[in-house]
Amino acid sequence: MDKLPLGLALDLRRVVPYKTGSWRTMKPLYIMQTPPCTHSCPINNDIRGFLRVLADKQDYTEAWHILTRTNPFPATCGRVCPHPCEDGCNRRDFDTPLAINSSERSVGDYGLEHHLEHRKEVLATRKEKVAVVGSGPAGLSCAFHLAKRGFAVKVFEAAREPGGMMRYGIPAYRLPKDVLQREIEAILKLGVELECNVKVGVNIPFDQLRHDYQAVFLGLGAQKGATVGIPGEDARNVFTGLEFLKAVNIGKAPEVGRNVVVVGGGNTAMDCARVAKRLGADVQIVYRRTRVEMPAITAEIDEAMEERIMFRYHTNPIKIITDEDKVVGLLCVQMELKEADASGRARPVPIPGSESVIPADTVIMATGQEVDYDGIDLAKRENRWISADEFLMTSVDRVFAGGDAVLGLETVSAAIGQGLRAATAIEDYLEGHVESSLASPPVVYFKDLNSYYYNRKKRISKEAIPVHERLKSFNEIYPPFDPGEIVQEANRCFSCGLCFDCKNCLMYCPDNAVNLVPATGRYEFDYDFCKGCGLCVRECPCHYIQLTLEK
Amino acid sequence: MMELHEEDLNRVEKKNLFASGHRACGGCGQALAARLVADAAGENTIACVATGCLEIFSSPYPDPSWRIPFLHSLFENVSAVASGVEAAYKAMNKGPVNIIAMGGDGSTADIGFQSISGMFERGHNVLYVCYDNEAYMNTGVQRSSFTPYGAKTTTTPMGNPTRKKNLPMLAAVHGIPYVATATVDDYRDLQRKVKKALTFEGPKYLHVLAPCPLGWGHSGDLSVLISRLAKDTCLFPVFEIINGSVTNIQKVPHKKPVEEYLNLQARFKHLFKKGEPTGMVAEIQEIANQNIERFNL
Repeated sequence: MDKLPLGLALDLRRVVPYKTGSWRTMKPLYIMQTPPCTHSCPINNDIRGFLRVLADKQDYTEAWHILTRTNPFPATCGRVCPHPCEDGCNRRDFDTPLAINSSERSVGDYGLEHHLEHRKEVLATRKEKVAVVGSGPAGLSCAFHLAKRGFAVKVFEAAREPGGMMRYGIPAYRLPKDVLQREIEAILKLGVELECNVKVGVNIPFDQLRHDYQAVFLGLGAQKGATVGIPGEDARNVFTGLEFLKAVNIGKAPEVGRNVVVVGGGNTAMDCARVAKRLGADVQIVYRRTRVEMPAITAEIDEAMEERIMFRYHTNPIKIITDEDKVVGLLCVQMELKEADASGRARPVPIPGSESVIPADTVIMATGQEVDYDGIDLAKRENRWISADEFLMTSVDRVFAGGDAVLGLETVSAAIGQGLRAATAIEDYLEGHVESSLASPPVVYFKDLNSYYYNRKKRISKEAIPVHERLKSFNEIYPPFDPGEIVQEANRCFSCGLCFDCKNCLMYCPDNAVNLVPATGRYEFDYDFCKGCGLCVRECPCHYIQLTLEK
Repeated sequence: MMELHEEDLNRVEKKNLFASGHRACGGCGQALAARLVADAAGENTIACVATGCLEIFSSPYPDPSWRIPFLHSLFENVSAVASGVEAAYKAMNKGPVNIIAMGGDGSTADIGFQSISGMFERGHNVLYVCYDNEAYMNTGVQRSSFTPYGAKTTTTPMGNPTRKKNLPMLAAVHGIPYVATATVDDYRDLQRKVKKALTFEGPKYLHVLAPCPLGWGHSGDLSVLISRLAKDTCLFPVFEIINGSVTNIQKVPHKKPVEEYLNLQARFKHLFKKGEPTGMVAEIQEIANQNIERFNL
């Protein structure tokens, strides 16, 4: 030790701090948790991630890349998804959930406007080839994720153009066709090969695909409209819901006449009714239960009601009355609801003697859809849907399946999610290892958050354009968010389960045991000094810090 | 008076001038407050600290936590020592330098009261920071004149029968330019007040409520929450007194009943019989109501 000046006993430069970390019995850890939005999203989109870059950096490009890591259709889903993410949002228990869906739409539109290109996950190409049957949301999602991982993918589509239900089943006022077209083009730019007008099982044998490709993904969808089997269904102005929507979507809208009756209570029924209304008809929806039991998305029912579509509940069609081969009316019977059936919904029973005729020029039977199995022989198949295991593998070797054909009638997002999972399963299968995906960390719920640090702020919502304007055209009914509004909305995100740099742990630690790592911009604990008091854990707004037992 | 821009005042400071390795209990409110004060004051500061927890846990030889010059004095004379440091700087024609005297509630309100009063009266350019943990924690939780009504200490086992001494007001009547109260939960406000106080010429007094997990009987992770509840129940009003007039009172839009604050601390446990509040709780609520009325919280 150098000699210190007289009177100074201690050289501060030589001080060795006393390591108080040895007192600790509990240890705080930064652990990323799953936010409830991602948890309830069928595609598990990184919603927190894309909102964060919007809030912090207003970086739309990066936000688009974060979203398209999982979902190649942000602009589409931003319009048609019933957004279960917003139902999960922890802000629901605080004020109002975030407008995640509208934000996604804006980010998707930004990507289309600026012609952003998807990033590949690996640069190398692989020798294995995969065939995808069907270019709907499931098929294209699967093709997209496989192409990003370097596989050669070919998509076979029976229709003239790709998109499946997104193109032929969703009316343009919900999803403009050019939005869909451009999102599909971006996927094809990854090197995905697409062949339209080829119906597997008819134009090309299914077994040949199995022979030529190392794996096959079936994204068949449920393209066949099911009818209820009442007399008169073969009349000229009777359509299934899908036939009707497809005809309108390819620009060959039929002459519907003045009175249109739509049978059914699902999303297809709502779409058919609202499309027919835009074609100038008076529309009634006939449903044998009540609004509560309707399987359609609530928002769609509300919008249909706003558009002055009449709903007849407790009404069941028994016969289509025809004059020669033309529809003139629908004979219906009133129903009453009895105890619940196997589906959990009340069982409708006809009331004798309550028959009446609803005058109709067109009847649309939106009463269900089925898989079109034409020429595709899957040895084992239970009831109407394809049965696949949890890795979406069917009973046939090297054949995977997903989307509506497996799930039954579900949403676009659910199908995209299945495409993603199938791509992972196919990759794992071709590489010969078992499912490698890790279990996701626990979900953060509102009770886990320290809501003191969040401000109450109203959700931004856009008014739909007025009904009389809506009915004049097939234009979209909701205006987009302004860029400022999206950032404002993104700033409402709680960032559940991941640091958003509030500095609480840094500032509240009485022991200076939290440090900012300049290289990463993240915080870390200095366990030499952390006494494990747990102050940071309690004051962390977003539940990113966990207290664990010290070993 | 020195001018500081609004953004300098509002900037949060983290400089580790009060470093890791001190021996305070986990979750110590005083250690947190001392760190925030030292970081806000900056490197050009001399800390004079009275005997008490802070001095004990931060200065043992050979590894003190202070990264700024530090002077330890007795309970009763820290204000006098700081006055001397200030006078010496003046005499040597050195400076400017921030001189901060620090003490706990015992050394401020009881033992050192004559010397703090003298420092205010003589007009030394010193900031006095009182870390108020409402009893003599260092010597084993004895009652001080800052112990609130009803609180149990080792010398008031049935609950303190008197009300807390109102030192911010006492300081203000000395005619000093700046008096303020703050709590550890709002670190922005606390650091802002330190920086703002240092812009005034003359004696300044800052009163910081610093929860003590050991003496108050709560777990260390609750320190910030309890300090916030003291504000939200209106038991600890946060305000500034600039040149004699009370200003910048922190309003409490969502007032909470005092039970929420009392229930979390073992020192108030005897006020509840089988979970039901006794008459003393109503008395404490009355104190809060008086604060609401007085400061228009």
